[in-house]
Amino acid sequence: MNRTIKKYSPIFVLPTLLAFIIGFIVPFILGIYLSFCKFTTVTDAKFTGISNYQKVFSDDSFIHALWFTALFTVAAVVTINVIAFTIAYLLTKGFKGTNLFRTVFFMPNLIGGIVLGYIWQLIFNGILLYFAKTLTFSATYGFFGLLILMNWQQVGYMMIIYIAGIQNISPSVMEAAKIDGASRSQILRKVIIPMVMPSVTISVFLTLTNSFKLFDQNLALTAGEPSKMTEMLALNIFNTFYGRTGFEGVGQAKAVIFFVLVAVIALLQLYYTRKREVQA
Amino acid sequence: MKNIKRILSLVLALCLVLVLFAGCGENTSGDKETAKGKVYFLNFKPEQSQQWEDIASRYSESTGVDVTVVTAASDTYESTLKSEIAKTEAPTLFQVNGPVGLASWKDYCYDLSNTSLYKNLASDDFVLKGDNGEALAIAYVIETYGLIYNKSLLNDYINTEGALITSANEINNFETLKAVAEDIQSKKDTLGIKGAFTSAGMDSSSDWRFKTHLANLPVYYEYKDENITSTDKIKGTYLENYKNIWDLYINNSTTEPSLLSSKTGSDASSEFALKEAVFYQNGTWAYDDIKGYEVSDDDLGMLPIYIGADGEEKQGLCTGSENYWCVNKNAKQADIDATLAFLDWLITSDEGKKALSEELKFVTPFTTFTEEFTVDNPLVKAANDYIKQDKIPVAWTFTTMPSEEWKNGVGSALLEYAQGTGDWSGVQTAFVDGWEREYKAVNSK
Amino acid sequence: MNEKKGKKGLLLTIIFSIISVIYIAPIIIILYNSFKKKAYIAKSPFSLPNEQTFSGFENYTSGINKTSFLSSFGYSLFITVGSVFLILLCTSMCAWYITRSKSKFSKCLYFLFVFSMIVPFQMVMFTLSKTADFLKLTNPVGIIIVYLGFGAGLAVFMFSGFVKAVPLEIEEAALIDGCSPLQTFFMIVLPILKPTAISVGILETMWIWNDYLLPYLVLNIKKYKTIPIAIQYLKGGYGSIDIGAMMAMLVLAIIPIIVFYISLQKYIIKGVAAGAVKG
Repeated sequence: MNRTIKKYSPIFVLPTLLAFIIGFIVPFILGIYLSFCKFTTVTDAKFTGISNYQKVFSDDSFIHALWFTALFTVAAVVTINVIAFTIAYLLTKGFKGTNLFRTVFFMPNLIGGIVLGYIWQLIFNGILLYFAKTLTFSATYGFFGLLILMNWQQVGYMMIIYIAGIQNISPSVMEAAKIDGASRSQILRKVIIPMVMPSVTISVFLTLTNSFKLFDQNLALTAGEPSKMTEMLALNIFNTFYGRTGFEGVGQAKAVIFFVLVAVIALLQLYYTRKREVQA
Repeated sequence: MKNIKRILSLVLALCLVLVLFAGCGENTSGDKETAKGKVYFLNFKPEQSQQWEDIASRYSESTGVDVTVVTAASDTYESTLKSEIAKTEAPTLFQVNGPVGLASWKDYCYDLSNTSLYKNLASDDFVLKGDNGEALAIAYVIETYGLIYNKSLLNDYINTEGALITSANEINNFETLKAVAEDIQSKKDTLGIKGAFTSAGMDSSSDWRFKTHLANLPVYYEYKDENITSTDKIKGTYLENYKNIWDLYINNSTTEPSLLSSKTGSDASSEFALKEAVFYQNGTWAYDDIKGYEVSDDDLGMLPIYIGADGEEKQGLCTGSENYWCVNKNAKQADIDATLAFLDWLITSDEGKKALSEELKFVTPFTTFTEEFTVDNPLVKAANDYIKQDKIPVAWTFTTMPSEEWKNGVGSALLEYAQGTGDWSGVQTAFVDGWEREYKAVNSK
Repeated sequence: MNEKKGKKGLLLTIIFSIISVIYIAPIIIILYNSFKKKAYIAKSPFSLPNEQTFSGFENYTSGINKTSFLSSFGYSLFITVGSVFLILLCTSMCAWYITRSKSKFSKCLYFLFVFSMIVPFQMVMFTLSKTADFLKLTNPVGIIIVYLGFGAGLAVFMFSGFVKAVPLEIEEAALIDGCSPLQTFFMIVLPILKPTAISVGILETMWIWNDYLLPYLVLNIKKYKTIPIAIQYLKGGYGSIDIGAMMAMLVLAIIPIIVFYISLQKYIIKGVAAGAVKG
């Protein structure tokens, strides 16, 4: 078998591989290299060692963006998953209209970040108008604005994952628990939650990376205002790179750090999942 | 079997189409390039994107030369230029805002010394030169800003009981301006207006009116005292004055300070155009947004922005340019030639001159613009009156501000101060410390 | 017991109905604001249009003209459909091949694909746009190749997961019967992969249709704007923000999504659930 299909490798692999080299491998390697350079375009890059990285850590706006992003990510992961799970749990109870509600909750997920940002900008500014304030009045408003926006967008998606998880639990397990006289809260805590752990892992992973890498929503909703206090990492990198002359290298170095952070988070998550799978 | 064949043929057909598509796209553009040069202008002024596109398409029609105009959204010119200039089809014509802007783009600037653009300049003041005297950037529009005011509303005020002045000319220093503005604010209901000043909108698309244009005055007076034209360290001698004028704007306006963060320049211009406010800080270019509403052309006047500096009775309006054309020297020679021809057409042909003066309403520094090409703009007239009165125009020193980052810092601090989430020391830090830091950061190449 | 459950169910139905209404309220608010004159939108965003504030379709016509929305829509559609089709075709073939041929090269490649999934776009934004420009991929056809390259990771990963579950015996039988690997793939494997293809297709569609930064940096801005770019450009691209046109364009951006969603609802929800369980 192996030998016959080997002949066909160009047809099967080459198109994807070529595109992958263009769209990922070359840009990635160049990106790493450029983070050690001073440059305005690729051709005039001069190697400068780690000075870009030194500049990154003396940049207050980056440190602030890091904390803001971390805080936002934690808040978003917790709220989105709690809300999504609650809705999923209730929607699997089987009452009239569950399908319709599921449809409604999922819909915002399909709307793009830029569009979402401008929708909510109008809504938030409209509400805050009653208090003679605006969304960019302080970072607190921006933070909760983003949080509400992200919940609105993501809850539906995670809900679907949780519903699938809950529906995967075999009815016999539930029956057995009921016969044993377990109360409803006991069933929830001792049966349902442990059984949907795989769904939790996926949802947490998705919300974690989505929140951490947030860009479009951030740009459209507050664009980092006021005073860059609501600027998240991805936007900070973009602004450093394209907004300031002479800081291209620093922007690229920030991007590398950003990548390392995302990778570490993903690996930790993977490690955690593996451990769980072994236990289960 | 049939199924596979169908799928395979579909796939093959699609690939073919894709290849043809891509191939054709390349070929047609390739052919044009070799035949004739192309012009690609990256325009800075979003409010005039339509006019520029019209002019470009007319020029293309009559000459057959391809002229593309792309307009960068407000506040994104530098970033758009940066991403565009790195491309193979980079802009052939772009602009810098002054010496600081030139510093980051001088490696891309073609020497314009031998062009009609340079030869027809009224004075060398409108050129930014390189280290060896080459003309790298040439101003193409001269603009003036100050406090635009509504003459009839101000007259209404003068006719109220206990008015502090009898004519607009008496406002020739900060103290009078402040007293009058505060008096107008207290009488706003009798005057039927919402405030003395239009809202000082600090949305990021519009905050240049204050972080750049208003900040020009403290910088100007400091330069004047020190007898310098640029500096690596600003002292902030006139920061107190900056604070006073800013306080005046935000406390006597149509809008509560806490709402400023999302107010835009167009909010302010519509307030002025709808007679809701008497004073509106902006420049000659604002005429387009005001005309055609409720304020008639005869009612438009312009006052200097007084901040309480010594001898400001002689102060005029702020006049200068932050729009300098540069031609990309890394473009193909044919494209450079086409661009120069386009520029030549703009400033020497009747059609081009009409386009600049009538459609874009530019006051230009070129000698080719004779009487019949003067701009029909009451704000420009008001500005010219000051020059006739021998007032001293305020130079545009903001072109020497160290970076966009500095302006953004000052803007944010101004906003925080206005809405009460920060105090004035924040502005001081952004202004003084920010200047030194940014100057170093930008010039440490 | 039954009655009690019925009552409780009714209560839940009512509560969820209220929540649902609140949930879609933002979209409704945008919808009716798009019919208000622009001066009234920011001043009172929650009030319905009345005689004084109603503007008819003025916001729509001015917005469509300003942004040339129709051509943006065309580009968005072309890029999304083209990219998704190419991604599904190429990556399913690639995934099948690297799963079946157990060479070192395949393993290495698989690792690279998975690795690329965790790399954020900012890491490659400049170098990718530079590479695309160098290879003249800055048009709607070229960007399809960029999407194939940058989006391959997730697709290959998901397809590989499913290929592993396809029993080898069927394929071997087909090969012995004289089918070429191509025939085997298209006749035997691809039909089995169909559910995964739907999941992958939906995920990639949602990503590409809504993507802002990649097309903004890669496409030639002189000629091509996708819908998200056109909307972002409305802010500040024309001197002042025309909030009326903005509302109208937001509505026009949402409509195709809702149509897509309602007509394919069953597949989308199933696809997401299936993708998540396996992924």
